[in-house]
Amino acid sequence: MSPFEIGLASFGAMVVMIYAGFWVPFALMLSSYVGVWAIKGSPVLAGKLLALAAGETISSYFFGVVPLFVLMGYVVSVTGMGRDAFDVANHLFRRLKGGLGIGTVGANAIFAAITGISIASAAVFTRIAVPEMIRHGYDKRFAVGVVAGSSVLGMLIPPSLLLILYGLLTEQSVGDLFIAGIIPGILLALAFGLGIWLTALFWPARLGAGVAADQVESDLSPGGVAAKGLPIALLIGLVLGGIYGGFFTPIEAGAVGALGAIVIGVARRQLTWADFWQVLTDTGLVTAAISFLIIAAQMYSRMLALSGVPAGFGNFVAGAEIGYWGVILAYVALVVLMGAILDSSSIMLILVPLMLPVVTGMGVDLIWFGIVTVIAVEVGLLTPPFGISVFVIKSALDDPGISLGDIFLGAAPFALMMLVVLALVLAFPALATGLL
Amino acid sequence: PAAQADDFNVTIVAGHPPVFRWVKHASQTFIPAVNAALEGSGHSITWSEQYGGSLAKVGDELEAVEEGLAEIGLVSSLFDPAKLSVQNVTYFTPFVSSDSTAVSTWMDELQHTNADMQATWAENGLHYLGGGIGIDDYLLMTTFPVNSIDDLDGHKIAAPGPAVNWLEGTGAVGVSGNLTTYYNEIKTGVYDGVIVFASAALPGKLHEVAPYITKVGFGAQYAGGLAANADWFDDLPAEVQDALMAGAKADAEAYQKDLDASVTKFLAIMQEQGATVTEVDQAFRERWANGMDNVAKLWAEKLDGEGKNGTAVLKAYMDTMRAAGATPVRNWDQE
Amino acid sequence: MSDLSADEGGGADLPGWFRAIRAAVDAVTGALNVAGTLLIVAIMLLVNADVIGRGAFDAPISGVPEMVSMSIVAIVFLQVAQTFRKGRLTRTELLLGWLERRSARGRQALELLFSAGAILLVWQIIAASWPLFEKAWRRGTYEGTIGDFTAPIWPVKLIIIVGCVALFVQLILHGLAALIRLVRGDTE
Ligand code: NA
Ligand code: NA
Repeated sequence: MSPFEIGLASFGAMVVMIYAGFWVPFALMLSSYVGVWAIKGSPVLAGKLLALAAGETISSYFFGVVPLFVLMGYVVSVTGMGRDAFDVANHLFRRLKGGLGIGTVGANAIFAAITGISIASAAVFTRIAVPEMIRHGYDKRFAVGVVAGSSVLGMLIPPSLLLILYGLLTEQSVGDLFIAGIIPGILLALAFGLGIWLTALFWPARLGAGVAADQVESDLSPGGVAAKGLPIALLIGLVLGGIYGGFFTPIEAGAVGALGAIVIGVARRQLTWADFWQVLTDTGLVTAAISFLIIAAQMYSRMLALSGVPAGFGNFVAGAEIGYWGVILAYVALVVLMGAILDSSSIMLILVPLMLPVVTGMGVDLIWFGIVTVIAVEVGLLTPPFGISVFVIKSALDDPGISLGDIFLGAAPFALMMLVVLALVLAFPALATGLL
Repeated sequence: PAAQADDFNVTIVAGHPPVFRWVKHASQTFIPAVNAALEGSGHSITWSEQYGGSLAKVGDELEAVEEGLAEIGLVSSLFDPAKLSVQNVTYFTPFVSSDSTAVSTWMDELQHTNADMQATWAENGLHYLGGGIGIDDYLLMTTFPVNSIDDLDGHKIAAPGPAVNWLEGTGAVGVSGNLTTYYNEIKTGVYDGVIVFASAALPGKLHEVAPYITKVGFGAQYAGGLAANADWFDDLPAEVQDALMAGAKADAEAYQKDLDASVTKFLAIMQEQGATVTEVDQAFRERWANGMDNVAKLWAEKLDGEGKNGTAVLKAYMDTMRAAGATPVRNWDQE
Repeated sequence: MSDLSADEGGGADLPGWFRAIRAAVDAVTGALNVAGTLLIVAIMLLVNADVIGRGAFDAPISGVPEMVSMSIVAIVFLQVAQTFRKGRLTRTELLLGWLERRSARGRQALELLFSAGAILLVWQIIAASWPLFEKAWRRGTYEGTIGDFTAPIWPVKLIIIVGCVALFVQLILHGLAALIRLVRGDTE
């Protein structure tokens, strides 16, 4: 078999293993190990690739603060700050059907201004939002779907690790990319909110029996709203103020936010030692589960790079005589397709440099192209078999009653809405470049 | 080495993506030059180009080549300072020469002729091909004008790893930073400036947020080059070995020419777009250099302790550069 | 603490000797997990100290990015065995659940097969990681830059191996439990 055929075969084997119930990271590792062995003809080299990727993949300052973002979210959850925030949201949105779902999207948009990485959003809101939505009568599948869907806002609304990576790959200004992400990010949040509202209006059963029955009662006084909303507002103020006031970087924000949440929790006498330890342990388990997946995905991606499959498809798109829109649409389709099996940064690392000379030659605005790329790549967070946001939620949820399939199904409408927003950005480039 | 004609599968790896000039030239100069040199020899190479982290991240290229996952790599000594410590000599000897062609050409030469340099490559299982990655003269870019060293007092300046040392003794607060996030961090005010080179500053639009560009004369640097897996290289037919070395030489020449042209152009563009470029006088330069700790000496002694002849390498580099006509502001090796 | 573990029956049906071994292994796995957890706290305090030091005292802490990037690798490998033990490694239950309803032995056989595959893979990582550790130890490879901050990388390379060995042992016990049930032919 040629390396190209090996790459294709490894893909089939990997999908079968995942659906058969092999642990996803091991399915990726095994495909990668056998693939490299077959391509390079050496099991020793295959083992070396695994070992090098194990040590290198997550070894970065960017990635190192992920547990701290998760910790911040978990402290918010365990101290009741999250629950209070949702009571406030419920009160404010009580006349709006599907209000808590919309509230979750809004909260994610705010959190997106703090974090640069979607997995942090997914881990945090699984703990804060899912239990609250279920408590208020929402359908489980919808609850996890909202969280999965709105986690993608983390990478679109600045700061964004993926936009930084794109900037590095294309020598575009990261500052411009960040500004360009704002309107599409808000647009996506609005699309999600509108989608939820319309669903609540026309198919209320999809949101859950409790919501369909009628609005949830709320008897909060203005003073009660203030008392419940203040702690979380304080935390958001600390982190956003710190970043945009120049006191710390978005990377450091995770650490400051985590410590801030702990201090607020202790000050309110709502954080016990036992809770704190529990939350820390959980943070570790979720971080390890996700990191192990990302390491395995990187092994698989390196094998695939050696096989030449992505380059083959990329060169096909780049070289096809299909005109401007043909190339752009084929590229978007390829990115979404690769999103089914690869992690976000691997897709960008492989495809963007391949396409860059082509789109540059066509005179494409590279800032716009970056936003298009990031939205398309992020669809892959929600699509099976390898959907990292879905995996994060499953891992953070720790509830056997909600299966991976449930989460993928719950997230599907949001993936579709992303495609709609992507189409809008494709049709109206000014959505991305208008603020520049 | 086999005598018959062969086709070789060669994976070439770089952590940086092809928009970086040295990666671009590996793809567009080195590979075609090697292929051209092989014509008529009966041998040929089928290339698999793995750039931008698809096979190894920045700083991990050395291990990928050493372990045999790739045959050739653009190995960045700057990002592998422990394993290629002697190759980082330029970063510990600022104020020597602002001519990147001179620095990288002579560093390339030293990799082939200096026993200690060669030993380091060998120790890592690599054979150095050439294609030295020269980095253009590092600049100080700040949010405030710098007329005197005293203007730096208390300001936070970000710099890449070893260049943090250059800020010692200036009154500025040196912070180890990352090129990809400089723009935003200067904009929000986490940093008040950076030490960076022109060919990276313009693409990152750093002059928009730090418009005061001061040519302090930190100097051009050497950041690595093309290296092959030594076991693999040693087994190649002589014609292929020669072709690889010739390709690396062509690569170095094209890269340097391209870099020199871009730097002049980039500085002009930044100026057009509102940046102020000032070049400091010799007194400023001397005060800065003399105010620093002798970090070169510290570095050399640490290497000596590791059995790596740091002092000898320091002297060899400084002697080479002085012989080539450079007039270092401070003779780091003679104190 | 959730009691959902990789071994869904909780293990009450397994023989005493097996439960004794597993208890001992779990104690070690748990200890590694605690070490990883403490490292998360340490990282949080370190980054905050750097931010405060830089902002309030013009005195940033050298080497924070390097320390954080090394620590995250350590955290993950210290905790990966516990992650597996707690059933938090991602997998789909579609086929496994279906098999379980049709034939409990079928499920155990598949579990055994999966364990064997994972054991071989983790062994490959251990075997290929050992020379990397050994090299880092022998050469004294460090992160950071002379004059500013340096830290040896061998501890991280060692932790990768320790964590993989812990995962390896947990996988063996998982496979062994499946084998015992398969041979006995019971349904948990
Ligand atoms: Na964000
Ligand atoms: Na996917």
